[in-house]
Amino acid sequence: MFVRRLLRNRYVLPLVLVATIGGGALLAFASAGAAGAATGVGGVGSGGGVGAGNFRSGVALPPGVGSPSYLGGPKDSGNANSSVRHYAKVGGKRQLVSYGSSSILYKTPPASYIPVGAALFAQNCSSCHGASAEGSPVAPPLLGVGPATVDFWVSTGRMPARSTNQVQAQRKPPLLNAKQALEVAAWVNSLDPAVPYVPYPNLKGADVATGADLFSLNCAACHTITGAGDALAFSTFSPSLHSATAQQVAEAIRTGPANMPRFTGNLSDAQVRDIVAYVTSYIQHPTNPGGSDLGGVGPVAEGFIALLIGVGGLALVCFWIGERS
Amino acid sequence: MSDVPPVITPPDGDGDGGGHGTAVAVPVARFDDPHLQEFARHPARTERVIAVLLVVGMLAVAGFGAAYWVSATPWVLAVTFGAGLFFLGFGLTAWGKYLMPQGPFVEDRHTLASAPEEQDALSAALVQRTSVVVKRRRLLGGLFAGGAGIFGIVAIFPLLRSLGPLPGTSFDRTNWRRGTLLVDSNGRPVHVDTLEVGGILTVFPHGQQASDEGQAVDQTILLRVSTDDVTTQPGRSNWGPRGYLAYSKLCTHLGCPVGLYEQQLQLLVCPCHQSMFNVLNGCIPQFGPAPRPLPQLPLKVDASGYLRARAGYDQAVGPGFWERTTK
Amino acid sequence: MTIANNAPRTKREAQAALGPYGRTSQAVAELDERFGLAKGGRIFLDKIFPDHWSFMLGEIALYSFVVLIATGIFLTLYFIPSTTQIIYHGSYKPLDGQRVSEAYASTVNLSFSVRAGLLMRQMHHWAADVFVGSIVLHMARIFFTGAFRKPRETNWIIGTTLLIMAILNGFIGYSLPDDLVSGTGLRIAYSILLSIPFVGSYLASFLFHGNFPGDAIIPRFFTIHVLILPAIIAGLIGAHLGLLVRQKHTQFPGEGRTERNVVGSPMFPTFMAKTTGFLFMVTGVLGVLGGLAQINPIWQFGSYQADKISYAVQPDWYMGWLDGALRIMPSWEWTGWGHTLPWEVFFPAVLFPGLVFNIAFGWPIIERRFTGDNEMHNLLDRPRDRPKRTAFGAAFFTMLFVVFGASSTDVLANYFHVSLNDVLWFFRIAVFVIPVIVYALTWRICVEMQGVIGVGKRKRAMVVTRTASGEYVAEVAEARPDDDVDELHPEPVPVLIDLGPEPALPPRTSPVDGGVGTAVRRVNR
Repeated sequence: MFVRRLLRNRYVLPLVLVATIGGGALLAFASAGAAGAATGVGGVGSGGGVGAGNFRSGVALPPGVGSPSYLGGPKDSGNANSSVRHYAKVGGKRQLVSYGSSSILYKTPPASYIPVGAALFAQNCSSCHGASAEGSPVAPPLLGVGPATVDFWVSTGRMPARSTNQVQAQRKPPLLNAKQALEVAAWVNSLDPAVPYVPYPNLKGADVATGADLFSLNCAACHTITGAGDALAFSTFSPSLHSATAQQVAEAIRTGPANMPRFTGNLSDAQVRDIVAYVTSYIQHPTNPGGSDLGGVGPVAEGFIALLIGVGGLALVCFWIGERS
Repeated sequence: MSDVPPVITPPDGDGDGGGHGTAVAVPVARFDDPHLQEFARHPARTERVIAVLLVVGMLAVAGFGAAYWVSATPWVLAVTFGAGLFFLGFGLTAWGKYLMPQGPFVEDRHTLASAPEEQDALSAALVQRTSVVVKRRRLLGGLFAGGAGIFGIVAIFPLLRSLGPLPGTSFDRTNWRRGTLLVDSNGRPVHVDTLEVGGILTVFPHGQQASDEGQAVDQTILLRVSTDDVTTQPGRSNWGPRGYLAYSKLCTHLGCPVGLYEQQLQLLVCPCHQSMFNVLNGCIPQFGPAPRPLPQLPLKVDASGYLRARAGYDQAVGPGFWERTTK
Repeated sequence: MTIANNAPRTKREAQAALGPYGRTSQAVAELDERFGLAKGGRIFLDKIFPDHWSFMLGEIALYSFVVLIATGIFLTLYFIPSTTQIIYHGSYKPLDGQRVSEAYASTVNLSFSVRAGLLMRQMHHWAADVFVGSIVLHMARIFFTGAFRKPRETNWIIGTTLLIMAILNGFIGYSLPDDLVSGTGLRIAYSILLSIPFVGSYLASFLFHGNFPGDAIIPRFFTIHVLILPAIIAGLIGAHLGLLVRQKHTQFPGEGRTERNVVGSPMFPTFMAKTTGFLFMVTGVLGVLGGLAQINPIWQFGSYQADKISYAVQPDWYMGWLDGALRIMPSWEWTGWGHTLPWEVFFPAVLFPGLVFNIAFGWPIIERRFTGDNEMHNLLDRPRDRPKRTAFGAAFFTMLFVVFGASSTDVLANYFHVSLNDVLWFFRIAVFVIPVIVYALTWRICVEMQGVIGVGKRKRAMVVTRTASGEYVAEVAEARPDDDVDELHPEPVPVLIDLGPEPALPPRTSPVDGGVGTAVRRVNR
């Protein structure tokens, strides 16, 4: 009966039209906004074919780190054989404390950070990764991964993870602050010292044009050309780059977190710096001279707007102009 | 549709014959009828509102002129331009809707079809004249039709022979040969230490890294994986030295560059239609519309430690086409 | 010297010489003597346009096309259709010093360095999106109200052709800037051509002058985009409107509306004012979109290079259904005897759209085969009165919409945080299941709505009175003269072609009348 009464009402059609168009436009803008912002929202449902078991294979660094750079290429390729090297005596042993070039300097956190790092690790990380970072069925071992890896995961808030059931940890407000992240990295690295160290990119003199070119060749295939990120195979996804810091971008390139490939010998420090400069400038702050970027997700959002606001809005105008009976 | 709807004639009359009933005769409106001139309840007020709309439009259009003159940013141009035209149109439409005669006016619809006699006259003319003029001169008619037909066929030739070259075997060829040096997009050769496990690089045959053809056809994806994980396909035991695997970057579905590598899942994913290829077993498609594995390029390490092609591709790269031979 | 003698001497005489309506009389006379347009012009001014709002949807398309032509002319002044590689030196820093094609560089330059260039370019793009969208909406109105029936089948076919041309020209225009995203679309188009059995490799090689990408495609597409297809579209629009004038509008059944008249408002001045105003409003809306909503920011994408790719590249929305079909198609390829038949491309990208458009083209004929209805129809159907057609149309559109949705599997998976693979499987199943459900549901709703008494009828007011003793009494107001008219009942179809006496059917009580009176239910042949 209600339905019949509803059908008789002459205001139903205009109301439904207005509601659809308005709601759709809101949804489009909301999704655009959400896609643009860094999301720490919601957990990835456990699903697809990727269980926690696959989690293991990735993070651990294989042997072969620090092998000589190939001939004919740039020497500053992000490993310990880069052009600038500084050593210091730590506990009577001569140890590499920093290396790199004028583009990126890789530094290990100071030894003084180690004790606090040990406490922080025991408190926040050891329940999954084990008391001495030896790993467990739900979390990979962290021995020999290098400080940059640890710093990346902790400083982006991905670690400590919300749950071990997640297919892929998401960026969220970090539990540990920047210094604490370095302290954890210092302690983990003290167990089995390895490169890469934490990168400090020097963006002065960076060339955004080279960065843009390299970005479209190496990064856009996953992160999209606007850096918005998107869903990948099964439940994995490429995260949005819009809230990553310069240091985190460099860390991700050099360490290859989770499913991301590692870019080592094939990208020089100068090239990484250029990419970082491009990401932190034009990707994160696009000029958008043409108006709202609609989330940077391309024709999907554009089609929404064209159909809802363009065609739908104009149909409403028709609705006003014409007769309705 | 078999459900022809019920056609209902109103009970009170099927007055004007011909099977189509007019329920109520609509008064044929005249333009000088004062009741039909204006539909607005408050014409004076409506006129004021419309005047305001038009003034707003006028000002905005003038503003667009000013914004254009000083070369303002696009959004200022858009707002002045769009608002100007919109309000001018709004005002004009409202004028038409509220202050102009609305009727309803009725226009008679005349049958398009002519009288049967006229139709017959045309048919008769067509048939008779044809039989008189054409059928008696069959030879001439046939000759002309033949000539025009041949011209019709000949006219297609430019489309076939001038637009582009015949494809020949061009879709089967790449520039990869035995011993070709692998280089990256800057032309740098690839040393066996360039990549670490989990690394990826797009490579080209030496000398083709900047050419259209090299980029469109020869592009090859070079990966380094842990040798323990690899399931080697029969006959390819020495194709991937030191964990280096090279596959054509052209998706076998539609030829998009398969540049998306997930190093934990060991999948190459095509960014266009999400075909997924398992890099460890010879890029056999795992999911999505791609029908064939990505062709693999056999590799070897030369004496100085650089990667070279052991041979060219053993099949056509990229999407399927009719002449593609099975592999 | 007779002329001199007859020359008017005073102003008043001059006025009188012009005719009763002054200079207008004179102008009409001069024109009529040359072109004989007085009578036709008068008829034209009196031409009646139905007032129902849904008759204006086609106008959105028409005026979008006007905007497309106007902005398009602007763009041709600055665009250079060439794939010659140059080094970009312009105002957009991340491209500075990069090797780009001239087509790309000129598009970036006209966006950044030409006054209002970006506005014009974005308006052009939005207008294209709206153009196709409004054609589809207009087409849906025509379909669901049965306006395509005799005598208007030809106009339906012209309209469908216009839709195809609009989609084609949209895609070609999208490809012209030679940016990374559109170049990927071209690569896909090339592969689709390749997939056609027997002739595919020849077609692809001829259109692109050899292997992909080649140098020929951008200049060729430019000519097609700005000359050939616009000319075809303009011609077809002319034919579309010419036929419309010749056959006159359809109209919804209702008060005084019959198969033999058109009820509405006249061409001049009422319709002229409304439609001109609407042209301005369409332009205004597109202008606002063109400057406030960024579309296709090619400077971010970079120039096309065949080894580069971005994830999340979709075509414009009107190509989305083909992209979606390509995504959900399983990987079925036939090989043998030295040949390959790539069904996984050929079916979704060639056969499927062919099937869809052939159904669209042939629909008037298909429907006639089912109904056997060969009558003239100038009165429209209400969708509910044709449950099967409406249900079929709804299911068909839904199927296309599901396939269209499948083109954004990645965006949906990302937004809802679900597995990409699951989303794809959902669409593979949904494309078959959802249209069936929609068919059943629509059919049911139509039949139910037929049964609702008095849908759309004017409500009779209730008059509440207070008696002297203080009681309130509610009564139905006095009937207005037209209250009893069953204004929404379709008029019977006139028998314009006499096929002999109709079979007499027993009279039945109409459920629609709600017992007001009896009606004769007559079934047409």
